[in-house]
Parts: sequence; C-alpha cells; structure tokens
Amino acid sequence: MTARPPITRAGSIYDLGYRRYEGPRLGRGHAVRSLIGHSLRSTYGIGRGGRSKVAPFVFGGMAVLPAVVIVGALTIASRFGAERAIEDMQVISFGNYFSAVNAIIALFCAAQAPELFGRDQRHGVLPLYFARALRRTDYAVGRLVGFWLGVLVLLMTPMVILFLGKVLLSMDIAGAFGANLPNVPPVVAQALVISTLYGGLAMAVSAYTLRRAYATAGIIALFVLPGLVTGIVIGIGSSGIGTALTLIAPNTVIDGTNALFFGRELGAEYFFVDVPLQLFLVSTIVEVAVVVALIVRRFARITT
Amino acid sequence: MTLLSTTALTKRYGASITALDELTFELEPGIVGLVGSNGAGKSTLLKILLGLLEPTSGSASVFDLDVATRGIEIRELVGYMPEHDCLPPDMSATDVVSHLAQISGLPRSAARERTAEVLRHVGLYEERYRAIGGYSTGMKQRVKLAQALVHDPRLLFLDEPTNGLDPAGRDEMLELIRRTGTEFGIAVVVASHLLGEIERVCDHLVAIEGGKLLRNAPLRAFTERTGTLAVEVEDGRDRLAEGLAGRGLRVASDGTAILVDLVDETPFDVVRDTVAELGLALVRMEQRRHRLEDLFRDGPDAAPAPLTAGAPAAGGARDRAPLEPGR
Repeated sequence: MTARPPITRAGSIYDLGYRRYEGPRLGRGHAVRSLIGHSLRSTYGIGRGGRSKVAPFVFGGMAVLPAVVIVGALTIASRFGAERAIEDMQVISFGNYFSAVNAIIALFCAAQAPELFGRDQRHGVLPLYFARALRRTDYAVGRLVGFWLGVLVLLMTPMVILFLGKVLLSMDIAGAFGANLPNVPPVVAQALVISTLYGGLAMAVSAYTLRRAYATAGIIALFVLPGLVTGIVIGIGSSGIGTALTLIAPNTVIDGTNALFFGRELGAEYFFVDVPLQLFLVSTIVEVAVVVALIVRRFARITT
Repeated sequence: MTLLSTTALTKRYGASITALDELTFELEPGIVGLVGSNGAGKSTLLKILLGLLEPTSGSASVFDLDVATRGIEIRELVGYMPEHDCLPPDMSATDVVSHLAQISGLPRSAARERTAEVLRHVGLYEERYRAIGGYSTGMKQRVKLAQALVHDPRLLFLDEPTNGLDPAGRDEMLELIRRTGTEFGIAVVVASHLLGEIERVCDHLVAIEGGKLLRNAPLRAFTERTGTLAVEVEDGRDRLAEGLAGRGLRVASDGTAILVDLVDETPFDVVRDTVAELGLALVRMEQRRHRLEDLFRDGPDAAPAPLTAGAPAAGGARDRAPLEPGR
C-alpha cells in the first residue's frame, strides 16, 4: 500500500441560484430527432474524443477516394481536351461504384455500429434514456435511424462528387446534366438498399453484443460467411440452396438489387441464379423488417 | 397531492428472489429518505416507479399517475440519478447533459443554457469540457446529479447519491440535496443504506427491509422518542441483563453496553437498584437518543430485541447482534 494521494477536490458546490425552467418543452418527436442527430454525429465520432474519429474518417475517406480520383482525373484530362476519352473508359461508373466500395462500407458498419448500441449498454447509459419521456422503441429506432443516415451519407457523398464532377467539368453543362440525370434514381435506390441492409444488420448484431470486439467480428462474419457458404454449396452442386442463400446473404442481395436498379444482368458468378431480380428487393425488405423487429425487441426487454 | 403511493407492490426475480413483497405506502412531497440495507429493494422500487421495471403484481403511482399506464407523463416530471456508472466516458459533461436535456424535450439552445447553469450549480466548472473518462468519482456523481436536474423535474429519485464520495464531497452532496428539496421546491426521494446521511437531509423516512415496509413516518417520529439507556458495568454484564429482564425491563445489547428501553423514568431507578443488589461496578449510564439503526435492530415494533433472541438478524444493516448468553 502506498500512501493515499492527497484528496483533490473537484471544486466546491456553490449555490449561484437554481432557477426553474419555464421555457417550452417539446415532446417525444423532439427527443427522437435529437437522438437521431446525436447518433449520426456519434457514428462519425463527432462530439467525442479524437480516437473515436479515426475509424469513421479512415473508412469514409477510402469510400470517397475513388470518386475524388476520378473527378480529379477528369479535371486534368479536360485541360487536354480528353475528357471524352476518360469518360468512355468507364473504369468506375455510377453502376459499379458501390460494388467497388462495398467492402469498405461493410467495414465502416462493423466498426461504427457497436459505437452506438454497444457503448450505451457497456457504460450503463440506457437508464438515463429510459428514465426520460421516451419509449424504449423511440430509443431503438432513433439510434437505428441515426446510424442508417450516417451510412447513407457515406454512400451518397462519392456519388454527389461524381455527379457534380461529370456535370460541371463538361463543356455542355445542361447536356451533361440531362445525360447523367437518369443515373440518380438507381443510385439513390441502391444507396438506400445498402444503407438499410448493412446498417440494420450491423446495428442488430451490436444491439445484442456488448463487447465491441465481438460485435465487430460478428458483423464482419455476418457479411462474409453467407457468401462463402454459398460458394461451397454451389461447388457441391446444389443450385437450389445456392439460389436461396444468394437471396439471403447481404452482399449478394446487394449485387442483385444493383443489377435490378441499373438494368443489368447478374454477373457471371451468379450463373446458377434463375429468379426474377425483384426477389432481391423483396429479400431486402424482409431482412430489414426482421432486423428492426429484433432491435426493438432487444430494447423492449433489456433490464437496466 | 400524493407524491408516491404503492399498493401491494410485489417484484419477484424468478421463483426464489423477492425484491419487493406486498409493499403498500403513501408519501407526501418533501425530502424522503428511502432506507434499507443493500438488497432491501430500494433500487427496485425506484425503477418500478420510473417504469424501468415492471412489477410482478400490485400497483404504484407517482403524482397520482399510474406507473403502468402513464409512464411517459411521470418521467417528464421526474429526474433520476442511477446508483451505478451511467456516463459515456468519451463525452464531455457538457455534451452529455445537454444531449440528455434535449431528450427530455428542451430545445437545443435552452438545453445548452440549462446545462451550463446546472453544472455550475453542482460545482463543475472548467472541467466540464473534458471527457468524463478522466473524472474522479466525485465529479461523476455531480454530473449524474446534474443530468437528473437539467430538465427541472418536480421530483428527483437519487439512488445512493453519496456513493464513492470523500467526506467533504459527501457533505456537499448532502447539502445540495437538502437545498434542492427545501429551497427549489423539488420533491426528493433519496435511497441510501447510510442512515446517518438520511438523518441529515430528510424530513420523512421510509424504511424497507427484505422488500417489506418497516416504517413510513416523519423523521421526528424516529429520533424524538424517549430513547434508550445504555448501561455499562465492569463484569457480570449477563447477570445484570438477566436481573433487569427479571424486573420487567426490555433489554438488549450492543456489544459493550446493555441497552434498556426508556419509556419513562423508572428504568433509571431499576438499573441503580439492580446494580446495587448484584454488587456490580457501574462504569457508565448514558441516555441515548433513539437512533435510526434501532429500526433495523428492533423490527417494525421498534421494541428492543429480547435478550434471548437467538436467531441472527438478516441483512447487513443489523450490525449489532442481540446479546447472546456467555458472550
């Protein structure tokens, strides 16, 4: 035993006059909106220490980088009058950008979802929320929506950069705008699918997993394992089960909706899948519904 | 207006653990101490009143609002300071408290203003911009109190508010609680196992033990009763105790002294006569104010345990065992 350190006092409690609060009290709607805003900021580590910002900004940077590079290349090329040539190369377009950054989005979700639900549970913050004029469902949904918005921002930022780059660097701005406009609905739709599916699944795992490391590992496993299993099943030669798994596994569902929205065929690796592409959208909706139900149920039952 | 009321409130965890057992009481606004040893059911009661837990059976209401159906309205009026750590370590006190103020319905700018006021009120100044992870226990307790006060509740539930505080911090916290209750007109329910603290700030006391109500009365009723006479002799304590019991006095022991229930003046004479008769050396005779601990020693009847009470008391608050012959 060493000697006790001297008692350092945090400061005395002086009464400088407690005042009643007579101002407006907004209801649950305001509470949920505040929670969504707080969750969105926490997803990027804003309002928290510097270390919390490392992962989201590294992954965010990686997701946005290709768009920046393309637009940069377009800028330079346009000075040599060669923007047509670059654009014709179609290295990365609206249609395949998401598949290019898919893994980064998944990592972002795996890293950041536990920052919301897991952190609140680990540090016992839930009683502070549940002791306020808020339903447990409000809490669960507020956090979920905040995270979902965070992922959506991550997905849409490079798309906006790409769109603006393509339009503004063009000689004929109005024409380029018109030419790129048809890309907007499929891009938005696909971003919605990815953000709800990845975001929702990641949040569901982290709602049930207190330890951050386990939650992150669990989310990555959930994103990766079904694809691996599908490959094995196909190798064995069961295309029926393979198709079913393809309709379940999050990353293949996203490939499916991508093909649906951008009006393409499924890639060659899905040679065994012979179902209408709309089923992938149905599958997304079902999975998101299950995820929301699981999260709401978790917080309805948790004891604080 | 009734502050709190419960009717046959029961909470069981599984089949074997009964946290609250048919608890029925009613409280008027004021500073109320909720005392009981660890595991007596204090926290469970607070959580049920907040709607954080569902009772197994029975009903409860806060401000005449039923806990089961009008939880949201109740929680608008209540501030809660949990017993355990509940603050995210990587946020600053300002951010946590103003965020929670907004969750309580305050607009953003009002939330900031109230946060600054309340943190100053509990005695947090420059450090409120630092991450909570680096705070001392005392500072964390202040932040916990601040978040309970920030939305200007009508009622505060404080669960062991002095946990982990040094004596000076404890004094300040108790003073703050007392003023919150008396000067700001906020009703306070303080759950604590430390009777000495409850005694200092509360004007009303609810004592529970094993989930059952022991007492529900103004503090005066506990401390202003005639009290106890403590008698110490050099040897022959057991003989004296037997002698006194033989003369019809109710006798107990707190280790070194024999405690005699003091209903009127007669025990003084009886003790004197008995000591003289037995030829014992009287060391000390002292009239003690009735202390809150007696609640737990005596049980609901507030009668000193008889000398022959053999069964050891349950619960940690019963630190003074009944005198056992031959000890």
